Order: sequence, then structure tokens, then C-alpha cells
Amino acid sequence: MLFAHLSDIHLGFQKHESLQKVEQQVFEKCLDECIARKVDFILIPGDLFHVNIPEMRVQKFAFAKFRQVHDAGIPIYVVYGSHDFSPVSNSVIDLLAEVGYITKVTKATSNENNTISLDFLVDGKTGAKIAGLSGLKVGKDREWYEKLDRDSLEAESGFKIFLFHGGISDMKTDSGMDGDQMPLSLLPKGFSYYAGGHMHKFNHQSFDGYPNVVYPGTPFAGYHADLEDNANGQKRGFVLVEFEDTVKSVEFVEIENISYEIIEVDANNRKAESINQELVEKTKEIDPTEKVVIIKIKGELTSGKTADVDISAIRDELNSRNAMVINVSKNGLTSKEYSITEAKGANKEEIETNVFSENIGQLRFEYPELLNEEGIKLAKKLLHELGQPVLVNEKKNEYIPRIRDNALALLGLDDASQ
Amino acid sequence: MDEISIVGQVVGGSFGDIVIRQKAGTNLEIGDLMVSEENGSFLILQVFSLEFGSQIQDKMQQMMSGVNLEQGVVDAQFYEPDFVNYVLARIKPLARVFKENCDVKIPKSLPSFFNKVRLITKDDLKFLQKEKDSVFVGYIRSGSKIIKEAEVWLPAEDVFSHHMLIPATTGRGKSNLVKTILWSVLDTNKVGALVLDAHDEYFGRSGIGLKLHPRAKDNLMYYTPSNPPVGANRLTINLQSIRPEHFEGIVDFSDPQFQAIRMAHRQHRSNWVRELMVTDAVAAGMESTTPSRGDFAAATMMVVQRKLRLLLSLEKDEEGVVFSRHEVFDSTTKGLTTVDDIVKDIEAGKVVVLDTSRLGDEAELLVGNIIASKLLQKYKDAKASGELERKPVATIVIEEAPRVIGVDVLTSRNDNIYSTIAKEGRKFKVGLTAITQLSSVIPKTILANMNTKIILGNEMKQEREAIIASASQDLSEDDKNIASLDKGEAIITSIFVPFAMPIKIPLFEDIVKEKGVAPETGKTKVF
Repeated sequence: MLFAHLSDIHLGFQKHESLQKVEQQVFEKCLDECIARKVDFILIPGDLFHVNIPEMRVQKFAFAKFRQVHDAGIPIYVVYGSHDFSPVSNSVIDLLAEVGYITKVTKATSNENNTISLDFLVDGKTGAKIAGLSGLKVGKDREWYEKLDRDSLEAESGFKIFLFHGGISDMKTDSGMDGDQMPLSLLPKGFSYYAGGHMHKFNHQSFDGYPNVVYPGTPFAGYHADLEDNANGQKRGFVLVEFEDTVKSVEFVEIENISYEIIEVDANNRKAESINQELVEKTKEIDPTEKVVIIKIKGELTSGKTADVDISAIRDELNSRNAMVINVSKNGLTSKEYSITEAKGANKEEIETNVFSENIGQLRFEYPELLNEEGIKLAKKLLHELGQPVLVNEKKNEYIPRIRDNALALLGLDDASQ
Repeated sequence: MDEISIVGQVVGGSFGDIVIRQKAGTNLEIGDLMVSEENGSFLILQVFSLEFGSQIQDKMQQMMSGVNLEQGVVDAQFYEPDFVNYVLARIKPLARVFKENCDVKIPKSLPSFFNKVRLITKDDLKFLQKEKDSVFVGYIRSGSKIIKEAEVWLPAEDVFSHHMLIPATTGRGKSNLVKTILWSVLDTNKVGALVLDAHDEYFGRSGIGLKLHPRAKDNLMYYTPSNPPVGANRLTINLQSIRPEHFEGIVDFSDPQFQAIRMAHRQHRSNWVRELMVTDAVAAGMESTTPSRGDFAAATMMVVQRKLRLLLSLEKDEEGVVFSRHEVFDSTTKGLTTVDDIVKDIEAGKVVVLDTSRLGDEAELLVGNIIASKLLQKYKDAKASGELERKPVATIVIEEAPRVIGVDVLTSRNDNIYSTIAKEGRKFKVGLTAITQLSSVIPKTILANMNTKIILGNEMKQEREAIIASASQDLSEDDKNIASLDKGEAIITSIFVPFAMPIKIPLFEDIVKEKGVAPETGKTKVF
């Protein structure tokens, strides 16, 4: 018997048209592979879609493909992920479940004593017993696990699978992976297979009481950083699991997506001009045709502003040579001259004040009203003004001038364009 | 002063050793706190010795006793006995409190002669107000009487960065005190703590413990090697986290052995332990006699392997994969981020309890060393970048502290991270909370740096002397007092308290009963 385990497909994440195509192709290739390999069922523990209601284009191709899988007689078992969940069943997941293309496995009952019972769903063909919990944003689902009545789950006999969506701290391989991780001990013990979602790289580990905790990772990309990982050789795909009473094998099936080029520049202790020069040279060395090009610049400049590192010319050059997409990451780029020191505070207001107070000393202006306490007050007002949302029924061409005029008024400036 | 509350009157003595006559019918105890009211201020005084006084000469008393005992006179009595025979208490001034502003100063003068004194009340201790971000340690104790309204709170950032020492012998309430302290540390995120819990007694794995704190979910992290309870973390540290310097001051390696270790580290970088363990010393061509050519004698190599094997409980399976029997150390992909995660939690002001009960002594210290080194480095970096101020103070709670800061350890081996923290951690807001039965083997320089001592009962004179000699207040008259401290009774001496405070530490179980989480009721929505 065989099942497939996919996760974090993030349909609808890509904004660029050519990447949208790749996203769709990879998704379809994965499911075609499942059909071709005659899997008994498919597990998708969360983040099938990037948002709970994706655009119609995405829904159309997803429905078409799921219908095909359904017609092939392969059930798909899912839980919500942190991106596509809806507390009021207002997700395209629910629509797919309603028409019978997929099945939500979370069969939870809230008990009077504030515990949560979970029932198994039994796969008709294989007899595999499947239970699972959805993933919520910022680890809010942790509470569910803490209240879970695990005795009944652990006492159940047979081949059991647990679907979950969340990071497991015991499985972290990189300390940069921050955020809502939970300890493995929160999951009920004694299942034959733990089908995980949320972590975007393939990871298969076994622990005492928890055999086969598996993340297949995203089949293409669900965060911007995924493309960079792909460019650095990260393999993408899904997992095929052969089983009888226990798991026989766990196989990672690689699905090709697209070609990449990566240009990495270390900006530490350098000036913008030398970085611009290196970018030009490195761009010449690559063949960007029909590829995703990742430009990553990190480090601390000795002087000048980070904006002095000029990407626009490089971008034009790469576009002229038919690069499919150019992704630039300057998040790790700072400057000694203008580096923002982070600051903490009890609330948003306090954090803003502290960040401005920490950093305003770096500024060298001739205008005293932009410095010291005056400057902090002005910066806060400006930040507040620029953060104003669009009003109901306000059009873009009304919103932009309103915000601009208010900001200029705060700065005591006239609009030269008028 | 209310006549009824009067317990005695100043009749003589000198500064630091004032004699009062006890009022008949009252029963003064060693350690009792009393008050002598003066103009605009009052003195807080403490009894340190009690003796009999009498208007009748000794010989006469002895003769009377003879009449009583030998001649069977049953109704022989002193004429006006309360007047003739009495108790003299020797007391010392602890503090002068100015009534107007509750200012507390070290006393520099005697109480007025013949002044009447009374026992202390809660109203006299109004200056003990809880300040923001402080740690609760107990209630003021006068003799064996507890003044529940007078809670003692210590300023968290100050006491933890300036190191804390908890000296006591077994059974005097050390772990109850540590749990009480950690309970209030859990209230806020102002103090991060690494607790090396050698007896797995703080978290409350199977009973009452810190896990019952209302903020435990957010602020308490529990790491245990195997079978972690629901929500707890697995204590697995990847061998890649270990560097040669982590063994310094903890494990006895000879110079050639250390060189072999450093060489392995240079060659294999982060995988050095694993590679060193799987190296067949003889087969690798290391000659067994001459340690020349930059190689090491096979014998040295084998000793290093054996020491590491014992220390880290390492074994090799048939495929050559190195693993540790107690599962704390891993050579594969587990536990790669544990050290970073723990350090991050401490930096976020959380209490991290490591269950090291399954580890050997040296392995426990090594785990602590790895984490403490990283923590201190991060705090040093934060100081360099000007961000230290925003970080919570960090403390490392370590039991049997002489294992790492004892005289013999520090003279025979190199400094280790714990002694470094004891010496310079204060500058970087990293402190030690050292628990020990043997203060006398900790060097004076380190003892003097421990600016808060919570002294529990101790029957060993040598230990009491070491504590008294390094106390922040003059405890020279308190030797007997310390010896007679009952379970849960303590004296706090600190540069952050106005005088050596006698306290009673409440039972941790009572704190949990009063403030612990109540079982939740109602339903949770699941979707």
C-alpha cells in the first residue's frame, strides 16, 4: 500500500505571471505523479493555498486537478494550514471538501472539561486510521495540543497517521528558523506516521515514541526565501510512503521546477561603488535566459546609504537578456553610517518611540526640527500619517494626494508639483 | 509606646552589644527584632544572646538551690522573684529608620539609655515596599515569629547580576528557596535564568513545581533528555555544538590530550568529536611510541577517546554512527539548534530548566558550559553594540557550586566559564546563583563578589565562618544564630538590603496553592 504526502503548496503565492505558471505546473506534476504511481491516498497537511480564498484563476486549475484525482479514485485528506485556515469554514478548502474532492480530517469534539477529543477517519481502501489538527497562525494551535485527550488517540490500534501543521522545535536544523515552533512532545505518541506541514524543506526524522515524523517541504515555493534555497540547490517535491502494518519506506520524489542563477555579494566593509562593480561583473558571467535570477547582497557598508547600491541597471541588463524573474534581496544589507538599531517596548507606540530615540543621533542635518526630541515627535507623526489606511470608497487617486498633502503639511513643506 | 508591648529596657553595654533587661512575662528569643523609639526615628535591634541576671550573688543562689534540693523544702521562693531574677538580652542595632520618609540608614549611635524597647510590628517595616521587577524571598522573621505582612522583595536586576550565593546543608530548604525565587522570576520577563537541575525537582514533572505558575506556558522552558512530558522539550545537544574550550576547567585532560583534541577540531571543525571517536588511532598510522611529526601517540588518542566516551556516554553502532546512551548528545541532525534556542529564551527573559539528572557530574557542567559560554558571548556582543541595557539580566543557577568555582578546581585547572562569570559577568548583566554546602572551599575573591547571600541553617562551624567573613553586613555575632536556623529560616545579607534580614521562606506548596493556575473549565473551539 502506498500513500503520497504533499504540503505547503501555497497555490496563489506567486505574483509574477511566469512564476504563476511554474507554480501551477509543479502542482499538476505532483498530482500526475501520484496518479501514475497509483497511490492509495494523498495527504496534504496544510497550506495547500496561500490564502483561504485565492483568486479565481487559482481556484479553477486547482478544482480541475482535484477533480481528476477524485475521478482516479484517490482520496485526498487535508487539514487547514496557517495560510488557508478559516475559523468559520470560509476557505476554498471547505468548498473542495463540500464537493467531495478532498476530505478534512479534523474530527474534533470540545468537551465540557475543556479537553479536546479527536476521532479517527478510516481510509476505506487501506484501513489506515487518520487523525489531525489544523495549523493556526503564530502557534495558536498549541493550546489545542495542550488540551488534547491523547490517551484515546494513543490507545487506538492499527496503522495510524497524524496530520499536523506546525514547526517542531526538535527537528530544527537551522537556528535561523524562528517563530512558532512547538516541541514534539505536544503531538500524541505512538502513531505510525506523522505527516507534517509548515516547514518548507524535506525533513524525515524518528524519535522515541514518534517514528517517521516527516515534512516533505514545499514542492516549489511558498516564501520568497524558498526561491533562494532552490537556487542554492534545495530539492523540491513530495514524499511517497509504502506501508503495511508499519511504514516500509519513505521516499522523496523530486519534482523539477525551473532553472536558477544566484548572484551573492558580500558587502561587509565595502563601499557601494565596489559592490555595483562586482554586480556588473557577476551579471556578465551568468546566462539568465528563462531563469529566475536571485541577487542577494548582505553585509555592512562602511559608508553611504544602502540605496547607493544600484540594482536598476543590473535589472535592465538581465531583462534584456530574457531573465524570467529577477529577485533582489537587500534585507541583510546595512550601512555603518545609517544602521537602524532595533528597540523594544511594551507596545507599538513605545517601540516606535524607542526606535526613533535610539537612531536619531545618527542623523546629521542642518535643520534642528529634524533632530533630537523635536525630530522624534515629527518622525512619529509622519509615521502615523503615512500609515493611514484607505477610507471606505476612497479611490487611489484620492488617497495618494491626501496622504502626501498631510505628510507635507506635517513637514511644513509646499508641494512643488502644484 | 504602649506599656503592654514593652519587652525590655536598655540597661548597658556598648555599640553593637547593647544589654537590655527582659520584662518579666515576656519571652525573648535569639533573633528577635525589637524597636527602640527615638526622636523622629527608631532603631531596629536584634537579639543575639540571652543570659540570666540576678540581684542575688551567685553563691547565695547556689546555697538556696542546695536548701531546695537537699532539704526537700518545697515552698521556698524568692522574695519578689520577677524583680530579683531576670533575663538579660544582648542586642545589636541593625538599622535606623527615619519616620518622616521611611529612610533606612546604618545606625551609628546607641539607643537612649534606659529607653524601653518593644517587639517589631508590621507598621515598623513599611519601608519594605515591593518595587517594580523584584523577587520575593519570604517574610520578615523575628526570632521564630513570622510577620506575614512584611514581605521581603529583592531588586531582581541588581541581585542577579551581582551574583547570589545560597549556602546551606542538606534538608534546610534550599530547593524550596530556589523554587520560591524562580516563581517570582517567572512573573516577568526581566530575568532570564538557566537552571541546571541535577535532581529534576524544579519543573514538577510528576508533582507540584514551577509548571503550575500562571505564566509558565510563556516563560518557562523545560528540557529533559527523554520522554518529555506534554509540551516540554527534548534535551538533545548535537556534538557539533561542543568546542574544545568547553572542556576547560571541567575535565582533566593532560596537555598532549588537549593538543590532540585541538588538532581534531582544526582538522574536522564542527564534526570533530564524531570524527575523533571513529578514528582508529593505530590504524590511522599514529605510532604508538613517538608523538612526533605533529601526530599523537596512539595511546594519547585512545585515552582521549575513552575520556570522551565516558564523559559523553558515547557509543558507536555497527554502522559507525556515534550516539550517546542517555540521548543528550547526538551526532546526526538532532539538537543542532538547542543551544541557540536556549540562549534565545534566556535573552527573552525566560526561565530555562534543564533536567540534568541523567547526566554525570562533568557532562552536566559541560552542558552548562556550552550554553553559558554562548550566553556570555552574546551579552558581551550586546554591550559592544550598546544593546545590553535592553536585555534582561541573566542568571545561571548551579548546584554544588564548588565543582566549578572551588579552590581546588580553580588552582589545578584553567578558569572555566562559571568562574569567569563570577569574576566579570556583572559587567555584562550575567550572574551566578550558586548553591552550596561548602562555602569555605570557594575562593574569597569569588565569595566577596557574591553580593547577595541567602544563608540557610548550617551546623558546620567552618562553613559559617566563611559565610560570615564574606557577608555584606557584619554578622560577627550571628554565628549561633545561623547555627540555630530552622528549616525554611534564613538570613539575607546583601548590598541591596539595608540590614541583614532574618526571613522565613514560605513553603513552595503554599505559594502554588495560593497563586498557581486553577484548572480551566469550559469548551475550546476547534476548527
